[in-house]
Amino acid sequence: MTSATLSVASAAERPRRNYEMADVHHLASRMMLYLLVFTAVSVVGFPLFWMVLCSFKPGGELYATPPTFLPQEWTLQNYRDLFVQTNFPTYFANSLIVAGGATLLSLVIGGLGAYSLSRFKFFGIAAFSNAALVCYMLPEVLIVLPLYIYVVKLGLADTLIALIIANTAFTLPLALWFMRSYFNAIPVSLEESAMIDGCTRLQAMYRVTIPLALPGIVSVGVFAFNHAWNEFLFALVFTSSERNKTLPLGLATWIGQDNIYSWGMLLAGAVLVTIPVVLFYLLVQRKLVVGLSEGGAKGE
Amino acid sequence: MLETRAALEGDRTLAYATLAPSVVFLVLLAGVPTITVFVTAMQDIGMGDMSGPYVGFENFVWALTSESFYTALWNTFIWVFGSVSIEMVLGLGLALLLNKTFAVRGIARAVILAPYLVPTVVAVLTWRYMFHDIVGIINAGLIATGLIDKPLLWLNSESLAMTSVILVGVWKFFPFAVIALLGILQAIPQEQYEAAKIDGASSMQQFWRITLPYVMPVFLLTALLRTIWTFHKFEIIYLMTGGGPLDATTTLPILVYLKAFTDFEFGRAAAVAILTFGILGILLGLYFMLIKRAEARQ
Repeated sequence: MTSATLSVASAAERPRRNYEMADVHHLASRMMLYLLVFTAVSVVGFPLFWMVLCSFKPGGELYATPPTFLPQEWTLQNYRDLFVQTNFPTYFANSLIVAGGATLLSLVIGGLGAYSLSRFKFFGIAAFSNAALVCYMLPEVLIVLPLYIYVVKLGLADTLIALIIANTAFTLPLALWFMRSYFNAIPVSLEESAMIDGCTRLQAMYRVTIPLALPGIVSVGVFAFNHAWNEFLFALVFTSSERNKTLPLGLATWIGQDNIYSWGMLLAGAVLVTIPVVLFYLLVQRKLVVGLSEGGAKGE
Repeated sequence: MLETRAALEGDRTLAYATLAPSVVFLVLLAGVPTITVFVTAMQDIGMGDMSGPYVGFENFVWALTSESFYTALWNTFIWVFGSVSIEMVLGLGLALLLNKTFAVRGIARAVILAPYLVPTVVAVLTWRYMFHDIVGIINAGLIATGLIDKPLLWLNSESLAMTSVILVGVWKFFPFAVIALLGILQAIPQEQYEAAKIDGASSMQQFWRITLPYVMPVFLLTALLRTIWTFHKFEIIYLMTGGGPLDATTTLPILVYLKAFTDFEFGRAAAVAILTFGILGILLGLYFMLIKRAEARQ
Protein backbone atom coordinates (compact mmCIF):
# COMPACT_ATOMS: atom_id res chain seq x y z
CA MET A 1 0.00 0.00 0.00
CA THR A 2 2.66 2.50 1.06
CA SER A 3 5.02 1.41 -1.67
CA ALA A 4 2.28 1.94 -4.22
CA THR A 5 1.62 5.48 -2.94
CA LEU A 6 5.33 6.21 -3.04
CA SER A 7 5.81 5.11 -6.61
CA VAL A 8 2.87 7.24 -7.68
CA ALA A 9 4.39 10.25 -5.94
CA SER A 10 7.80 9.80 -7.56
CA ALA A 11 6.21 9.32 -10.96
CA ALA A 12 4.42 12.60 -10.50
CA GLU A 13 7.64 14.34 -9.53
CA ARG A 14 9.83 13.01 -12.31
CA PRO A 15 8.35 15.16 -15.09
CA ARG A 16 8.76 18.27 -12.95
CA ARG A 17 12.48 17.61 -12.58
CA ASN A 18 12.87 17.24 -16.34
CA TYR A 19 10.79 20.31 -16.98
CA GLU A 20 13.64 22.70 -17.75
CA MET A 21 15.44 20.30 -20.06
CA ALA A 22 12.22 19.61 -21.95
CA ASP A 23 11.58 23.32 -22.18
CA VAL A 24 14.93 24.01 -23.87
CA HIS A 25 14.42 21.08 -26.16
CA HIS A 26 10.93 22.30 -26.97
CA LEU A 27 12.16 25.80 -27.73
CA ALA A 28 14.87 24.49 -30.06
CA SER A 29 12.41 22.35 -31.99
CA ARG A 30 9.97 25.26 -32.28
CA MET A 31 12.73 27.48 -33.70
CA MET A 32 13.68 24.72 -36.12
CA LEU A 33 10.04 24.44 -37.17
CA TYR A 34 9.70 28.16 -37.85
CA LEU A 35 13.01 28.18 -39.72
CA LEU A 36 11.80 25.35 -41.96
CA VAL A 37 8.45 27.02 -42.54
CA PHE A 38 10.15 30.31 -43.37
CA THR A 39 12.50 28.61 -45.85
CA ALA A 40 9.70 26.66 -47.52
CA VAL A 41 7.41 29.65 -47.81
CA SER A 42 10.10 31.95 -49.20
CA VAL A 43 11.41 29.45 -51.75
CA VAL A 44 7.95 28.41 -52.97
CA GLY A 45 6.54 31.92 -52.84
CA PHE A 46 9.48 33.70 -54.42
CA PRO A 47 8.56 33.37 -58.12
CA LEU A 48 5.12 34.89 -57.59
CA PHE A 49 6.52 37.57 -55.31
CA TRP A 50 9.11 38.37 -57.99
CA MET A 51 6.44 38.46 -60.70
CA VAL A 52 4.36 41.03 -58.80
CA LEU A 53 7.40 43.08 -57.82
CA CYS A 54 8.85 43.24 -61.33
CA SER A 55 5.52 44.15 -62.89
CA PHE A 56 5.90 47.51 -61.12
CA LYS A 57 9.45 48.15 -62.34
CA PRO A 58 10.19 50.61 -65.14
CA GLY A 59 11.81 49.28 -68.32
CA GLY A 60 15.36 50.22 -67.38
CA GLU A 61 15.29 48.29 -64.14
CA LEU A 62 13.79 45.18 -65.76
CA TYR A 63 16.82 44.83 -68.02
CA ALA A 64 19.44 45.88 -65.48
CA THR A 65 22.33 43.53 -64.69
CA PRO A 66 22.51 42.70 -61.85
CA PRO A 67 18.78 43.19 -61.32
CA THR A 68 17.52 45.52 -58.63
CA PHE A 69 15.59 43.75 -55.89
CA LEU A 70 12.88 46.21 -54.85
CA PRO A 71 11.82 48.60 -57.61
CA GLN A 72 13.77 51.84 -57.16
CA GLU A 73 10.91 53.57 -58.85
CA TRP A 74 7.39 52.06 -58.67
CA THR A 75 5.41 52.49 -61.87
CA LEU A 76 2.09 51.45 -63.39
CA GLN A 77 3.46 52.00 -66.89
CA ASN A 78 3.52 48.24 -67.69
CA TYR A 79 -0.16 47.91 -66.86
CA ARG A 80 -1.01 51.02 -68.88
CA ASP A 81 0.97 49.72 -71.89
CA LEU A 82 -0.87 46.42 -71.65
CA PHE A 83 -4.21 48.09 -72.17
CA VAL A 84 -3.10 50.70 -74.67
CA GLN A 85 -0.64 48.81 -76.86
CA THR A 86 -2.05 45.28 -76.88
CA ASN A 87 -5.27 43.34 -77.31
CA PHE A 88 -5.23 42.32 -73.68
CA PRO A 89 -8.83 43.52 -73.07
CA THR A 90 -10.04 41.41 -76.02
CA TYR A 91 -8.21 38.34 -74.70
CA PHE A 92 -9.71 38.95 -71.29
CA ALA A 93 -13.25 39.18 -72.69
CA ASN A 94 -12.73 36.04 -74.81
CA SER A 95 -11.47 34.10 -71.82
CA LEU A 96 -14.50 35.21 -69.81
CA ILE A 97 -16.85 34.06 -72.58
CA VAL A 98 -15.11 30.71 -73.08
CA ALA A 99 -14.71 29.88 -69.40
CA GLY A 100 -18.18 31.19 -68.54
CA GLY A 101 -19.80 29.28 -71.41
CA ALA A 102 -18.02 26.01 -70.63
CA THR A 103 -18.91 26.35 -66.95
CA LEU A 104 -22.58 27.03 -67.61
CA LEU A 105 -22.80 24.18 -70.10
CA SER A 106 -21.16 21.65 -67.79
CA LEU A 107 -23.17 22.76 -64.76
CA VAL A 108 -26.53 22.42 -66.52
CA ILE A 109 -25.79 19.22 -68.45
CA GLY A 110 -23.59 17.71 -65.76
CA GLY A 111 -26.05 18.69 -63.03
CA LEU A 112 -28.90 16.85 -64.73
CA GLY A 113 -26.68 13.86 -65.47
CA ALA A 114 -25.32 13.73 -61.93
CA TYR A 115 -28.86 13.88 -60.56
CA SER A 116 -29.75 10.89 -62.72
CA LEU A 117 -26.64 8.97 -61.65
CA SER A 118 -27.32 9.71 -58.01
CA ARG A 119 -31.08 9.13 -57.83
CA PHE A 120 -31.86 6.30 -60.22
CA LYS A 121 -30.79 2.73 -60.51
CA PHE A 122 -30.56 1.39 -64.03
CA PHE A 123 -28.44 -0.75 -66.26
CA GLY A 124 -25.03 0.58 -67.19
CA ILE A 125 -24.81 3.23 -64.51
CA ALA A 126 -21.45 2.08 -63.11
CA ALA A 127 -20.05 1.63 -66.60
CA PHE A 128 -21.05 5.16 -67.53
CA SER A 129 -19.54 6.77 -64.41
CA ASN A 130 -16.28 4.93 -65.01
CA ALA A 131 -16.32 5.93 -68.67
CA ALA A 132 -16.79 9.56 -67.61
CA LEU A 133 -13.76 9.30 -65.35
CA VAL A 134 -11.70 7.82 -68.17
CA CYS A 135 -12.81 10.75 -70.39
CA TYR A 136 -11.42 13.08 -67.78
CA MET A 137 -8.09 11.27 -67.90
CA LEU A 138 -7.79 11.16 -71.69
CA PRO A 139 -4.71 13.03 -72.84
CA GLU A 140 -5.62 16.37 -74.41
CA VAL A 141 -3.19 15.74 -77.28
CA LEU A 142 -5.13 12.60 -78.19
CA ILE A 143 -8.47 14.40 -78.32
CA VAL A 144 -7.21 17.53 -79.97
CA LEU A 145 -6.33 15.83 -83.28
CA PRO A 146 -9.84 14.52 -84.12
CA LEU A 147 -11.52 17.58 -82.60
CA TYR A 148 -9.43 19.77 -84.86
CA ILE A 149 -10.51 17.71 -87.86
CA TYR A 150 -14.20 18.09 -86.88
CA VAL A 151 -13.84 21.78 -86.17
CA VAL A 152 -12.33 22.38 -89.59
CA LYS A 153 -14.95 20.25 -91.34
CA LEU A 154 -17.81 21.97 -89.52
CA GLY A 155 -16.41 25.40 -90.31
CA LEU A 156 -16.02 26.19 -86.61
CA ALA A 157 -12.28 26.84 -86.78
CA ASP A 158 -11.25 30.07 -85.10
CA THR A 159 -14.51 30.54 -83.17
CA LEU A 160 -15.17 30.83 -79.46
CA ILE A 161 -18.03 28.31 -79.73
CA ALA A 162 -15.59 25.58 -80.73
CA LEU A 163 -13.50 26.37 -77.67
CA ILE A 164 -16.50 26.37 -75.32
CA ILE A 165 -17.64 22.96 -76.53
CA ALA A 166 -14.15 21.45 -76.58
CA ASN A 167 -13.55 22.59 -73.02
CA THR A 168 -16.61 20.73 -71.80
CA ALA A 169 -14.93 17.48 -72.85
CA PHE A 170 -12.98 17.90 -69.62
CA THR A 171 -15.21 20.04 -67.42
CA LEU A 172 -18.30 17.87 -67.94
CA PRO A 173 -16.83 14.65 -66.46
CA LEU A 174 -15.54 16.78 -63.59
CA ALA A 175 -19.03 18.18 -63.00
CA LEU A 176 -20.63 14.74 -63.24
CA TRP A 177 -18.34 13.18 -60.67
CA PHE A 178 -18.39 15.99 -58.17
CA MET A 179 -22.09 16.74 -58.33
CA ARG A 180 -23.04 13.10 -58.07
CA SER A 181 -21.28 12.89 -54.73
CA TYR A 182 -22.98 16.11 -53.57
CA PHE A 183 -26.40 14.78 -54.57
CA ASN A 184 -25.60 11.46 -52.88
CA ALA A 185 -25.07 13.37 -49.64
CA ILE A 186 -28.62 14.76 -49.73
CA PRO A 187 -31.15 12.28 -48.33
CA VAL A 188 -33.73 11.04 -50.84
CA SER A 189 -36.32 11.22 -48.06
CA LEU A 190 -36.33 15.02 -48.33
CA GLU A 191 -37.51 14.76 -51.92
CA GLU A 192 -40.03 12.11 -50.94
CA SER A 193 -41.51 14.39 -48.32
CA ALA A 194 -41.79 17.21 -50.84
CA MET A 195 -43.55 14.88 -53.25
CA ILE A 196 -45.95 13.66 -50.56
CA ASP A 197 -46.69 17.35 -49.94
CA GLY A 198 -47.75 17.62 -53.56
CA CYS A 199 -44.62 18.60 -55.48
CA THR A 200 -43.90 16.91 -58.77
CA ARG A 201 -40.56 15.18 -59.20
CA LEU A 202 -39.00 18.13 -61.01
CA GLN A 203 -40.37 20.60 -58.48
CA ALA A 204 -38.87 18.52 -55.66
CA MET A 205 -35.52 18.57 -57.44
CA TYR A 206 -35.74 22.28 -58.19
CA ARG A 207 -37.03 23.40 -54.78
CA VAL A 208 -35.29 20.95 -52.43
CA THR A 209 -32.29 19.16 -53.87
CA ILE A 210 -30.65 21.93 -55.87
CA PRO A 211 -30.78 24.57 -53.11
CA LEU A 212 -29.25 22.07 -50.69
CA ALA A 213 -26.51 21.13 -53.15
CA LEU A 214 -25.79 24.77 -54.02
CA PRO A 215 -22.46 25.08 -52.15
CA GLY A 216 -21.24 22.00 -53.99
CA ILE A 217 -22.52 23.29 -57.30
CA VAL A 218 -20.70 26.58 -56.76
CA SER A 219 -17.40 24.89 -56.10
CA VAL A 220 -17.79 22.62 -59.14
CA GLY A 221 -18.48 25.77 -61.13
CA VAL A 222 -15.28 27.32 -59.83
CA PHE A 223 -13.24 24.24 -60.73
CA ALA A 224 -14.72 24.15 -64.21
CA PHE A 225 -14.19 27.87 -64.72
CA ASN A 226 -10.62 27.59 -63.54
CA HIS A 227 -9.94 24.69 -65.88
CA ALA A 228 -11.33 26.52 -68.90
CA TRP A 229 -9.66 29.79 -67.85
CA ASN A 230 -6.26 28.06 -67.94
CA GLU A 231 -6.84 25.89 -70.98
CA PHE A 232 -4.14 26.34 -73.59
CA LEU A 233 -3.87 23.50 -76.12
CA PHE A 234 -7.36 23.78 -77.65
CA ALA A 235 -6.97 27.54 -77.90
CA LEU A 236 -3.57 27.12 -79.55
CA VAL A 237 -4.83 24.63 -82.13
CA PHE A 238 -8.28 26.07 -82.92
CA THR A 239 -7.55 29.78 -82.92
CA SER A 240 -5.81 31.60 -85.70
CA SER A 241 -6.97 35.22 -85.51
CA GLU A 242 -5.93 37.84 -83.02
CA ARG A 243 -9.50 38.76 -82.11
CA ASN A 244 -10.39 35.23 -80.92
CA LYS A 245 -7.37 34.61 -78.72
CA THR A 246 -7.89 33.73 -75.07
CA LEU A 247 -5.61 35.02 -72.31
CA PRO A 248 -3.24 32.03 -72.06
CA LEU A 249 -2.81 31.95 -75.83
CA GLY A 250 -2.44 35.71 -76.09
CA LEU A 251 0.21 35.89 -73.40
CA ALA A 252 1.99 32.80 -74.76
CA THR A 253 2.39 34.32 -78.21
CA TRP A 254 4.19 37.30 -76.66
CA ILE A 255 6.81 35.10 -75.01
CA GLY A 256 10.09 35.24 -76.79
CA GLN A 257 9.23 38.46 -78.63
CA ASP A 258 10.82 40.70 -76.05
CA ASN A 259 11.79 43.19 -78.69
CA ILE A 260 8.08 44.07 -79.07
CA TYR A 261 6.55 43.05 -75.77
CA SER A 262 8.62 44.01 -72.76
CA TRP A 263 9.01 41.70 -69.80
CA GLY A 264 7.26 44.33 -67.72
CA MET A 265 4.16 44.11 -69.83
CA LEU A 266 4.22 40.31 -69.82
CA LEU A 267 4.56 40.19 -66.05
CA ALA A 268 1.78 42.76 -65.64
CA GLY A 269 -0.39 40.53 -67.84
CA ALA A 270 0.55 37.50 -65.75
CA VAL A 271 -0.51 39.33 -62.58
CA LEU A 272 -3.87 40.27 -64.08
CA VAL A 273 -4.54 36.71 -65.28
CA THR A 274 -3.84 35.43 -61.80
CA ILE A 275 -6.18 37.81 -59.96
CA PRO A 276 -9.47 36.02 -60.85
CA VAL A 277 -7.88 32.73 -59.80
CA VAL A 278 -6.91 34.17 -56.43
CA LEU A 279 -10.40 35.58 -55.93
CA PHE A 280 -11.89 32.17 -56.67
CA TYR A 281 -9.49 30.54 -54.27
CA LEU A 282 -10.63 32.83 -51.49
CA LEU A 283 -14.23 32.05 -52.39
CA VAL A 284 -13.96 28.28 -52.12
CA GLN A 285 -10.86 27.85 -49.98
CA ARG A 286 -12.30 25.27 -47.61
CA LYS A 287 -14.11 23.30 -50.28
CA LEU A 288 -11.00 23.18 -52.41
CA VAL A 289 -8.77 21.64 -49.77
CA VAL A 290 -11.44 19.15 -48.75
CA GLY A 291 -12.32 18.29 -52.33
CA LEU A 292 -8.74 17.80 -53.42
CA SER A 293 -7.79 15.62 -50.50
CA GLU A 294 -10.96 13.53 -50.52
CA GLY A 295 -10.93 12.55 -54.14
CA GLY A 296 -7.53 12.77 -55.72
CA ALA A 297 -9.06 11.34 -58.86
CA LYS A 298 -11.11 14.45 -59.42
CA GLY A 299 -8.53 17.05 -58.55
CA GLU A 300 -6.74 18.69 -61.44
CA MET B 1 -42.65 5.66 -48.15
CA LEU B 2 -41.31 2.51 -49.74
CA GLU B 3 -43.68 2.85 -52.62
CA THR B 4 -42.53 6.39 -53.29
CA ARG B 5 -38.92 5.25 -53.17
CA ALA B 6 -39.57 2.57 -55.71
CA ALA B 7 -41.33 5.17 -57.83
CA LEU B 8 -38.40 7.53 -57.33
CA GLU B 9 -35.84 4.99 -58.44
CA GLY B 10 -37.95 3.51 -61.19
CA ASP B 11 -38.87 6.59 -63.20
CA ARG B 12 -37.08 5.41 -66.33
CA THR B 13 -38.10 8.28 -68.58
CA LEU B 14 -36.78 10.94 -66.23
CA ALA B 15 -33.65 8.91 -65.50
CA TYR B 16 -32.73 8.63 -69.16
CA ALA B 17 -33.88 12.13 -70.08
CA THR B 18 -31.65 13.76 -67.48
CA LEU B 19 -28.65 11.61 -68.32
CA ALA B 20 -29.01 11.82 -72.09
CA PRO B 21 -27.33 15.21 -72.66
CA SER B 22 -24.24 14.10 -70.71
CA VAL B 23 -24.04 10.86 -72.67
CA VAL B 24 -24.40 12.66 -75.99
CA PHE B 25 -21.71 15.20 -75.08
CA LEU B 26 -19.22 12.65 -73.84
CA VAL B 27 -19.79 10.33 -76.76
CA LEU B 28 -19.29 13.17 -79.25
CA LEU B 29 -16.39 14.82 -77.45
CA ALA B 30 -14.45 11.82 -76.17
CA GLY B 31 -15.87 8.55 -77.52
CA VAL B 32 -16.09 9.34 -81.23
CA PRO B 33 -12.79 11.30 -81.24
CA THR B 34 -10.96 8.36 -79.67
CA ILE B 35 -12.27 6.09 -82.44
CA THR B 36 -11.45 8.74 -85.04
CA VAL B 37 -7.82 8.82 -83.88
CA PHE B 38 -7.53 5.13 -84.72
CA VAL B 39 -8.95 5.77 -88.19
CA THR B 40 -6.68 8.77 -88.67
CA ALA B 41 -3.66 6.70 -87.65
CA MET B 42 -4.39 4.41 -90.61
CA GLN B 43 -4.48 7.30 -93.06
CA ASP B 44 -1.97 9.52 -94.75
CA ILE B 45 -3.55 12.83 -93.85
CA GLY B 46 -2.06 16.21 -94.55
CA MET B 47 -3.46 19.69 -94.26
CA GLY B 48 -6.39 20.82 -96.36
CA ASP B 49 -9.57 18.75 -96.45
CA MET B 50 -8.47 16.50 -93.58
CA SER B 51 -8.77 13.24 -95.47
CA GLY B 52 -6.32 10.98 -97.23
CA PRO B 53 -5.64 7.46 -98.51
CA TYR B 54 -5.57 4.49 -96.13
CA VAL B 55 -2.10 3.17 -95.54
CA GLY B 56 -2.68 0.38 -93.02
CA PHE B 57 -0.17 0.27 -90.18
CA GLU B 58 2.45 2.29 -92.02
CA ASN B 59 2.28 5.16 -89.53
CA PHE B 60 2.83 2.80 -86.61
CA VAL B 61 5.74 1.19 -88.40
CA TRP B 62 7.18 4.63 -88.97
CA ALA B 63 6.78 5.53 -85.29
CA LEU B 64 8.27 2.31 -83.96
CA THR B 65 11.29 2.55 -86.25
CA SER B 66 11.96 6.26 -85.98
CA GLU B 67 14.56 7.68 -83.70
CA SER B 68 12.35 10.62 -82.73
CA PHE B 69 9.77 8.31 -81.14
CA TYR B 70 12.33 6.62 -78.90
CA THR B 71 13.98 9.91 -78.00
CA ALA B 72 10.55 11.24 -77.02
CA LEU B 73 9.82 8.07 -75.04
CA TRP B 74 13.08 8.41 -73.15
CA ASN B 75 12.48 12.14 -72.55
CA THR B 76 8.99 11.36 -71.28
CA PHE B 77 10.44 8.83 -68.87
CA ILE B 78 12.99 11.33 -67.52
CA TRP B 79 10.35 14.08 -67.30
CA VAL B 80 7.82 11.88 -65.49
CA PHE B 81 10.25 10.11 -63.19
CA GLY B 82 12.15 13.28 -62.31
CA SER B 83 9.05 15.37 -61.68
CA VAL B 84 6.99 12.83 -59.77
CA SER B 85 9.73 11.56 -57.48
CA ILE B 86 10.76 15.07 -56.44
CA GLU B 87 7.14 16.18 -56.11
CA MET B 88 6.31 13.27 -53.82
CA VAL B 89 9.32 13.64 -51.53
CA LEU B 90 8.83 17.40 -51.32
CA GLY B 91 5.09 16.93 -50.92
CA LEU B 92 5.48 14.55 -47.99
CA GLY B 93 8.04 16.80 -46.29
CA LEU B 94 5.89 19.89 -46.56
CA ALA B 95 2.72 18.02 -45.61
CA LEU B 96 4.46 16.86 -42.41
CA LEU B 97 5.54 20.44 -41.79
CA LEU B 98 2.09 21.91 -42.39
CA ASN B 99 0.54 19.23 -40.21
CA LYS B 100 2.26 20.78 -37.18
CA THR B 101 0.56 23.56 -35.28
CA PHE B 102 2.23 26.95 -35.54
CA ALA B 103 1.31 30.60 -35.64
CA VAL B 104 1.05 31.45 -39.33
CA ARG B 105 -0.14 28.09 -40.62
CA GLY B 106 -3.01 29.49 -42.69
CA ILE B 107 -0.73 31.88 -44.55
CA ALA B 108 2.00 29.27 -44.99
CA ARG B 109 -0.53 26.84 -46.42
CA ALA B 110 -1.92 29.43 -48.84
CA VAL B 111 1.57 30.32 -50.12
CA ILE B 112 2.57 26.68 -50.56
CA LEU B 113 -0.69 25.92 -52.35
CA ALA B 114 -0.40 28.97 -54.63
CA PRO B 115 1.72 27.51 -57.46
CA TYR B 116 -0.91 24.84 -58.08
CA LEU B 117 -3.63 27.46 -58.54
CA VAL B 118 -1.66 29.81 -60.75
CA PRO B 119 -2.36 29.37 -64.49
CA THR B 120 0.40 27.48 -66.27
CA VAL B 121 1.06 30.35 -68.65
CA VAL B 122 1.71 32.62 -65.64
CA ALA B 123 4.07 30.11 -64.06
CA VAL B 124 5.92 29.78 -67.37
CA LEU B 125 6.22 33.54 -67.93
CA THR B 126 7.57 34.11 -64.45
CA TRP B 127 10.07 31.29 -64.61
CA ARG B 128 11.23 32.20 -68.08
CA TYR B 129 11.98 35.68 -66.81
CA MET B 130 13.84 34.20 -63.83
CA PHE B 131 15.75 31.75 -66.05
CA HIS B 132 16.68 34.47 -68.55
CA ASP B 133 20.37 34.26 -69.50
CA ILE B 134 21.14 37.91 -68.95
CA VAL B 135 18.43 39.64 -66.93
CA GLY B 136 17.30 36.57 -64.95
CA ILE B 137 17.50 36.63 -61.18
CA ILE B 138 18.73 33.00 -60.98
CA ASN B 139 21.92 33.59 -62.95
CA ALA B 140 22.42 36.91 -61.17
CA GLY B 141 22.06 35.23 -57.76
CA LEU B 142 24.39 32.36 -58.62
CA ILE B 143 27.03 34.76 -59.98
CA ALA B 144 26.73 37.04 -56.95
CA THR B 145 27.29 34.13 -54.56
CA GLY B 146 30.22 32.93 -56.65
CA LEU B 147 28.73 29.53 -57.49
CA ILE B 148 29.12 30.14 -61.21
CA ASP B 149 31.21 32.72 -63.02
CA LYS B 150 29.31 33.08 -66.26
CA PRO B 151 25.56 32.87 -66.98
CA LEU B 152 24.10 29.40 -67.52
CA LEU B 153 21.79 28.82 -70.47
CA TRP B 154 19.00 27.23 -68.45
CA LEU B 155 16.54 26.75 -71.30
CA ASN B 156 18.81 26.94 -74.33
CA SER B 157 21.34 24.24 -73.62
CA GLU B 158 20.61 20.60 -74.34
CA SER B 159 22.10 19.44 -71.06
CA LEU B 160 20.18 21.83 -68.77
CA ALA B 161 16.82 22.30 -70.48
CA MET B 162 15.16 19.15 -69.10
CA THR B 163 16.36 19.91 -65.57
CA SER B 164 14.93 23.43 -65.81
CA VAL B 165 11.59 22.22 -67.13
CA ILE B 166 11.36 19.58 -64.38
CA LEU B 167 12.12 22.26 -61.81
CA VAL B 168 9.23 24.39 -63.03
CA GLY B 169 6.93 21.37 -63.22
CA VAL B 170 7.78 20.39 -59.67
CA TRP B 171 7.18 23.92 -58.41
CA LYS B 172 3.82 24.06 -60.17
CA PHE B 173 2.48 20.63 -59.20
CA PHE B 174 4.02 19.49 -55.89
CA PRO B 175 1.23 21.25 -53.91
CA PHE B 176 -1.13 18.56 -55.15
CA ALA B 177 0.89 15.97 -53.23
CA VAL B 178 0.96 18.29 -50.20
CA ILE B 179 -2.84 18.56 -50.17
CA ALA B 180 -3.43 14.85 -50.72
CA LEU B 181 -0.96 13.85 -48.02
CA LEU B 182 -2.06 16.53 -45.57
CA GLY B 183 -5.56 15.08 -45.78
CA ILE B 184 -4.42 11.62 -44.76
CA LEU B 185 -2.00 12.91 -42.09
CA GLN B 186 -4.85 14.68 -40.38
CA ALA B 187 -6.84 11.45 -40.39
CA ILE B 188 -4.28 9.49 -38.34
CA PRO B 189 -5.80 8.83 -34.88
CA GLN B 190 -3.84 10.84 -32.31
CA GLU B 191 -4.19 8.05 -29.70
CA GLN B 192 -1.68 6.00 -31.67
CA TYR B 193 0.99 8.64 -31.12
CA GLU B 194 0.06 9.05 -27.47
CA ALA B 195 0.30 5.29 -26.93
CA ALA B 196 3.67 5.26 -28.71
CA LYS B 197 4.95 8.14 -26.57
CA ILE B 198 3.98 6.30 -23.39
CA ASP B 199 5.90 3.31 -24.67
CA GLY B 200 8.90 5.62 -25.12
CA ALA B 201 9.04 5.69 -28.94
CA SER B 202 11.21 8.48 -30.38
CA SER B 203 9.71 10.80 -32.98
CA MET B 204 11.76 9.03 -35.67
CA GLN B 205 10.30 5.69 -34.59
CA GLN B 206 6.82 7.20 -34.55
CA PHE B 207 7.34 8.39 -38.13
CA TRP B 208 8.54 5.01 -39.43
CA ARG B 209 6.11 2.86 -37.44
CA ILE B 210 2.90 4.93 -37.45
CA THR B 211 2.95 7.80 -39.93
CA LEU B 212 4.57 6.14 -42.92
CA PRO B 213 2.50 2.91 -42.93
CA TYR B 214 -0.66 4.95 -42.50
CA VAL B 215 0.22 7.37 -45.31
CA MET B 216 1.65 4.81 -47.74
CA PRO B 217 -1.53 3.81 -49.65
CA VAL B 218 -2.44 7.45 -50.34
CA PHE B 219 1.20 8.23 -51.12
CA LEU B 220 1.34 5.52 -53.80
CA LEU B 221 -2.04 6.43 -55.24
CA THR B 222 -1.08 10.12 -55.43
CA ALA B 223 2.24 9.21 -57.05
CA LEU B 224 0.44 7.11 -59.66
CA LEU B 225 -2.09 9.85 -60.35
CA ARG B 226 0.70 12.40 -60.71
CA THR B 227 2.51 9.96 -63.05
CA ILE B 228 -0.58 9.76 -65.27
CA TRP B 229 -1.06 13.51 -65.38
CA THR B 230 2.63 14.33 -65.79
CA PHE B 231 2.83 11.77 -68.59
CA HIS B 232 0.43 13.67 -70.83
CA LYS B 233 1.26 17.18 -69.67
CA PHE B 234 1.72 19.38 -72.71
CA GLU B 235 1.62 23.11 -72.21
CA ILE B 236 4.24 23.55 -69.51
CA ILE B 237 6.98 21.99 -71.65
CA TYR B 238 5.69 23.49 -74.87
CA LEU B 239 5.69 26.98 -73.40
CA MET B 240 9.03 26.65 -71.61
CA THR B 241 11.11 25.23 -74.48
CA GLY B 242 8.80 24.19 -77.35
CA GLY B 243 10.44 20.76 -77.04
CA GLY B 244 13.91 22.13 -77.70
CA PRO B 245 16.72 22.88 -77.90
CA LEU B 246 16.72 20.38 -80.78
CA ASP B 247 14.68 17.55 -79.24
CA ALA B 248 16.09 17.73 -75.70
CA THR B 249 12.68 18.25 -74.09
CA THR B 250 10.43 16.69 -76.74
CA THR B 251 8.19 14.32 -74.80
CA LEU B 252 5.53 12.15 -76.47
CA PRO B 253 2.70 14.75 -76.23
CA ILE B 254 5.03 17.39 -77.68
CA LEU B 255 5.97 15.02 -80.49
CA VAL B 256 2.27 14.45 -81.27
CA TYR B 257 1.68 18.20 -81.44
CA LEU B 258 4.76 18.93 -83.55
CA LYS B 259 4.01 16.09 -86.00
CA ALA B 260 0.40 17.28 -86.42
CA PHE B 261 0.66 21.05 -86.37
CA THR B 262 4.20 21.81 -87.47
CA ASP B 263 4.92 18.96 -89.89
CA PHE B 264 1.21 18.56 -90.79
CA GLU B 265 1.48 14.77 -90.67
CA PHE B 266 -1.78 13.91 -88.96
CA GLY B 267 -1.56 10.18 -89.56
CA ARG B 268 1.83 9.89 -87.92
CA ALA B 269 0.77 12.18 -85.09
CA ALA B 270 -2.28 9.98 -84.48
CA ALA B 271 -0.12 6.86 -84.42
CA VAL B 272 2.18 8.41 -81.80
CA ALA B 273 -0.88 9.57 -79.83
CA ILE B 274 -2.26 6.02 -79.79
CA LEU B 275 1.05 4.54 -78.66
CA THR B 276 1.15 7.20 -75.92
CA PHE B 277 -2.39 6.34 -74.95
CA GLY B 278 -1.46 2.66 -74.82
CA ILE B 279 1.28 3.29 -72.28
CA LEU B 280 -1.06 5.56 -70.37
CA GLY B 281 -3.74 2.88 -70.51
CA ILE B 282 -1.49 0.53 -68.57
CA LEU B 283 -1.00 3.20 -65.91
CA LEU B 284 -4.74 3.92 -65.80
CA GLY B 285 -5.49 0.22 -65.40
CA LEU B 286 -3.05 0.09 -62.50
CA TYR B 287 -4.70 3.14 -60.95
CA PHE B 288 -8.21 1.70 -61.10
CA MET B 289 -6.95 -1.61 -59.75
CA LEU B 290 -5.39 0.11 -56.74
CA ILE B 291 -8.56 2.16 -56.16
CA LYS B 292 -10.66 -1.02 -56.23
CA ARG B 293 -8.34 -2.72 -53.79
CA ALA B 294 -8.37 0.29 -51.45
CA GLU B 295 -12.17 0.38 -51.57
CA ALA B 296 -12.36 -3.36 -50.90
CA ARG B 297 -10.13 -2.94 -47.85
CA GLN B 298 -12.44 -0.30 -46.44
